[in-house]
Amino acid sequence: MVNTKGYRRGTRYMFARKFRHHGPEHLSTYLKVFKIGEYVDVKGNGAIQKGMPFKFYHGKTGRVYNVTKRAVGVIVNKRVRTRIIPKKINVRIEHVHHSKCRQDFVTRVKDNDARRKAARESGHSVELKRRPVEPRKAHFVKTAKNKPQLVEPLAYEFVA
Amino acid sequence: MGMVKVVKNKQYFKRFQVKLRRRREGKTDYQARKGLIQQDKNKYNTPKYRLVVRFTNKDIIAQIVYAKIEGDKVLCSAYAHELPRFGIKLGLTNYAAAYATGLLLARRLLKQLKLDKIYEGTTDVTGEESHVEDVAGKPGAFKCFLDVGLGRTTTGSKVFACMKGAVDGGLNIPHSNRRFPGYDSESKKFDAEIHRKHIMGGHVGNYMKELQDADEEAYKKQFSRYLAAGVTSETIEGVYKSAHDNIRANPAPEKKEQKPKPPKNKRWNRKKLSHAEVANRIAQKKKAVLAKVGGGDE
Repeated sequence: MVNTKGYRRGTRYMFARKFRHHGPEHLSTYLKVFKIGEYVDVKGNGAIQKGMPFKFYHGKTGRVYNVTKRAVGVIVNKRVRTRIIPKKINVRIEHVHHSKCRQDFVTRVKDNDARRKAARESGHSVELKRRPVEPRKAHFVKTAKNKPQLVEPLAYEFVA
Repeated sequence: MGMVKVVKNKQYFKRFQVKLRRRREGKTDYQARKGLIQQDKNKYNTPKYRLVVRFTNKDIIAQIVYAKIEGDKVLCSAYAHELPRFGIKLGLTNYAAAYATGLLLARRLLKQLKLDKIYEGTTDVTGEESHVEDVAGKPGAFKCFLDVGLGRTTTGSKVFACMKGAVDGGLNIPHSNRRFPGYDSESKKFDAEIHRKHIMGGHVGNYMKELQDADEEAYKKQFSRYLAAGVTSETIEGVYKSAHDNIRANPAPEKKEQKPKPPKNKRWNRKKLSHAEVANRIAQKKKAVLAKVGGGDE
């Protein structure tokens, strides 16, 4: 039997409200400001049926390309077989959150600019690249309250 | 009584979802609030100001507020308990006092924003319908929306007196005459004169006269403080007229002197002893015990 083509088919849990978070939406959702070019996460909110995203876009992140009275236009990438199509969807505010994917990058850029400026003024050189965590360097270990324990395997005992 | 199942058992409480806090307190109508606060997204950070009017048993609170995620910010506020400064000493929660509070708030705000010379509002109190228009070439009029809270919006309600005071003070608040006293819902006609009487305390004056003619004793009892202050049904309109003039003359709030408060230390438990103090305590205890034991032995 072929799957039914209902618009919200298979979304029983996806658009369901979380446990004890039913009812009216808190107003800070409506006070958030969205600007063109910002990254947003699309997350359908089952309590508000207007302007809901299609189930595919739930959990996707895109960029805002348009802002209207109560909604934003988001460009989301969708893979269709061999290619990726940038799709434009119109979503109401309640189904959209500011994405934190960009936050780390933006703060790092700001931080780097400040450090570069400070380095230029002081004359020191500065390492701005991120380094992955290196293995621990050689060091002494105190054994005063930390005696080494000898660990041995137990002799094999046959149990019937 | 048979065996009745306990409804409010552990499972009930585990599953219970509380309403929003201010709804639980019964103070905020969130549906109304959503409408008042929500700004068009294509207007980005432009604040949406609202004129918040609340009545307590003895006071009127009028504030210009705009919403932010961290919490609403109050731009300017006026209270009925400030009215004695302008000459209104009695009846601080009546229709006329509400009008005066709204007027005070509007003039105070416009002075704060340096718009008071441009937007005078209506200095002649006629009770007629009036709206504030933008003056060409100058900064636009200050627009805000009335927030009545949980009060029922009936014709003649005092929240609209406050709003009318603010409009006559120079704020642009969209409204119609429908809920002012003097509006006849059957004939759909608005009698500005009735409204004017209410604004100037005429309805209080009328009652004073009625009571005086009907029952002198009851009159003296009801309006004892008015009589002590020398306010009669004839002079009551004058009180409000001069108060409006005083408000327009100097609406700035009175600054109270803040005494620098000495920092009070709050501690609810004992302070922890330092290592030296603990060692000392132990040594002292040891000495005491040994002394007792040594003394007991001998």
